[in-house]
Amino acid sequence: MTGGDATIGGRLRRVGLGMLGAALALALAGMAWLQWRQYDLLDGATRYRNDGLGASFFQLETEHLRLRHQVQQALQGPQETARERLQLRYDIFVSRLGLVDHARAADVMRSQPAYAPTLRRVREFIAGADRLLGPGARAPLTPDALRALAAELDALAGPLHDLSVGTTHVLYERATERDAAVRRQSQQGLVLMAFQCVLLLVLAAVVLRQFRAALQRRERLETLARRLGDARVEAESASRAKSVFLANMSHELRTPFHGLLGMMSLLQETPLTAQQSGFLRTARDSAHHLLAILNDILDISKLESGNLQIAPEPVDLPKLVREVEALMRVQAQSRGLLLDVAIAPGVPRWVLADPTRLKQILFNLLSNAVKFTPSGGVELGVREGAGAQAGQVLFAVLDTGIGMDAATMERVFHRFVQADGTTSRRHGGTGLGLEISRSLARLMGGDLTVASHVGEGSCFTLALPLPGIEPPVPAVATGAPADAGRALRVLVAEDHPVNRLYLEAVLGQLGHRTRFAENGEDAVRAAQEEHFDVVLMDLHMPVMDGFAAARAIRTMPAPRGEMPIVALTADVFQEAREQARQAGMDDVVTKPAQLGQLREVLARLGVT
Amino acid sequence: MSRPPARRRLLWLLACLAAALGAPAARALDPPAGRIVLSVTGEVARRNAGEGADFDLAMLERLPQKSLTTATPWYPSPRRFTGVLLRDLLAAAGARGTTARAIALNDYQVDIPLADAERHDVLIAWLLDGQPMAVRDKGPLVVMYPFDSHPELRDAVHYGRAAWQLRRLDIR
Repeated sequence: MTGGDATIGGRLRRVGLGMLGAALALALAGMAWLQWRQYDLLDGATRYRNDGLGASFFQLETEHLRLRHQVQQALQGPQETARERLQLRYDIFVSRLGLVDHARAADVMRSQPAYAPTLRRVREFIAGADRLLGPGARAPLTPDALRALAAELDALAGPLHDLSVGTTHVLYERATERDAAVRRQSQQGLVLMAFQCVLLLVLAAVVLRQFRAALQRRERLETLARRLGDARVEAESASRAKSVFLANMSHELRTPFHGLLGMMSLLQETPLTAQQSGFLRTARDSAHHLLAILNDILDISKLESGNLQIAPEPVDLPKLVREVEALMRVQAQSRGLLLDVAIAPGVPRWVLADPTRLKQILFNLLSNAVKFTPSGGVELGVREGAGAQAGQVLFAVLDTGIGMDAATMERVFHRFVQADGTTSRRHGGTGLGLEISRSLARLMGGDLTVASHVGEGSCFTLALPLPGIEPPVPAVATGAPADAGRALRVLVAEDHPVNRLYLEAVLGQLGHRTRFAENGEDAVRAAQEEHFDVVLMDLHMPVMDGFAAARAIRTMPAPRGEMPIVALTADVFQEAREQARQAGMDDVVTKPAQLGQLREVLARLGVT
Repeated sequence: MSRPPARRRLLWLLACLAAALGAPAARALDPPAGRIVLSVTGEVARRNAGEGADFDLAMLERLPQKSLTTATPWYPSPRRFTGVLLRDLLAAAGARGTTARAIALNDYQVDIPLADAERHDVLIAWLLDGQPMAVRDKGPLVVMYPFDSHPELRDAVHYGRAAWQLRRLDIR
């Protein structure tokens, strides 16, 4: 509605402006016409010398008097020179008649009844006098003729004088009329000008309003842009805060998990009834599921905060694929599905890749395929890319599952989306797997794409640039017997009682003896008191944290100062590991520390 | 008339000397053969009479002739005027000054700034539509400005300078 109003308002404003402009143009035209009239009036007055008519009548009268005087002189003086002078005087008099005897003069003098008869009398006089003084006249200038001429001139004196005076009055009247006309037109001009001023003011007001409106609009836009910018900064900081929160939560969640999983694996070693074993298995499955979800969330938060790092290393690709296959086969078989894995010839054996992340993606794709395929089979094909994908290794996961329509395919890589809204409950999972997989693939310089038809199944293709490399020289130290090790004296610095209990049990199983410290300070004291084969150091502890304790131990004289120190942390971020190394620690074990993990680390350090 | 002959001779000699000295610039005009129609008096170098340079119609005819057609307040329709340019006439008379006072047969007089003659083709006309003008037709000479081609001339002052029945130009 406001849009419509604005359009109507805009049209009204345009019409208003148009009318204003037209009025202004009309007023200007009126002014121009008035100016033209005044110019015409004045130009006509000078051009036709109407004002000069009075002078002309006056001169006619004067010349008449001079001619009369000349006639008088001719009557007294010698004949010969008299004729010539009289002739000239007469001609001048005659020439003056032409100045007052014409149509325009008659028009000016129409209010003077004496004009026409007087001029007729002058013309009659000239007609008579021409016999004596006209061109080619040879009549003798006798005194009688001159006296007759003088008498005729005398008779003209009165009428000519009256006409001369009358003309003055006529011209006064005309001048008065003209002045009145000029005054009237000036008044009209003033009115028009006032009107124009008003119009101009209105126009100026309109322009000013438009200008102000434009300014306000700009200000509003600037404010909006500022607010949007603020909102973006706010959103970004909120996102950062969320990532920090998740990182913190990872620590907080993993610590109790450490205990929970540890205790459950210890419980499994004790004599249990079949029912108890079943309960425990369910509890373990749930806990592992929960850990998977937690790991997904952590991956997402790491991906979002840009903290996830890809660590490529030489990888035996067929071996990696076989490992994945071995694990997935159990899952597939439990659902009655066929799992077919094929590696095409030409795929390099040794490649540079991050094995953990590659496995993560493959597991995700395969377990998804298994999850969404009620019957039939799942296929993993590894082959070399061709054409635009040359130099890449393609991992195609093909299923005969429920498939997806185009709309779902678009959304499937977005978080919390599964093949369709109704399936999420049935199939479980976090809904983060595909988003993480695609992000990881892109982080590794590749991509993850999908092709699918509803009811026919889906095909996810992971394309990764995995350069083939020379097989690495096998490490000499590998294959050291871990289980056959001696009993070790282990110092464990751990503030959490459940974790202490768990670690004691795990290390006990490995045949090691454990001394516990509840914080860094206790640990440093213990290290001063006796020698340990290895120190397991929790990083976050009250009183003194693991970093400080490790640094303190490293300042001790040998051999105390050279005790191997392994950091225990729930912190999955790379920085924590880096910090631990800088503090002088030799290795890092992620909580919850599994038995195998601990055994591996101890073997790696060569202390067993 | 009653001066001693010796003094008259001296004056004559001085006059001859002056004439010889000023010869290139002030070569005298031929004296008029016919009736004098115009006298240029005052600051005039090339005299052919006591007071200045006198012209008859034949002398005017020998100067370059120009025509102009213009409307005037004195005739109902535009007329063609033919004659000599005022500046040519003044040059012929060797006139030097700033103003020419035009004096008519009826003793009408008006001052014409010589700048007018420089700036405009001001005519001393002796033909109206190709015919000589009689005194009763405002002749024999009229001063005429090109009013039609120069609207700025159409005012009382310039109409006033267009003197007719012109008889004398007094240069100052």
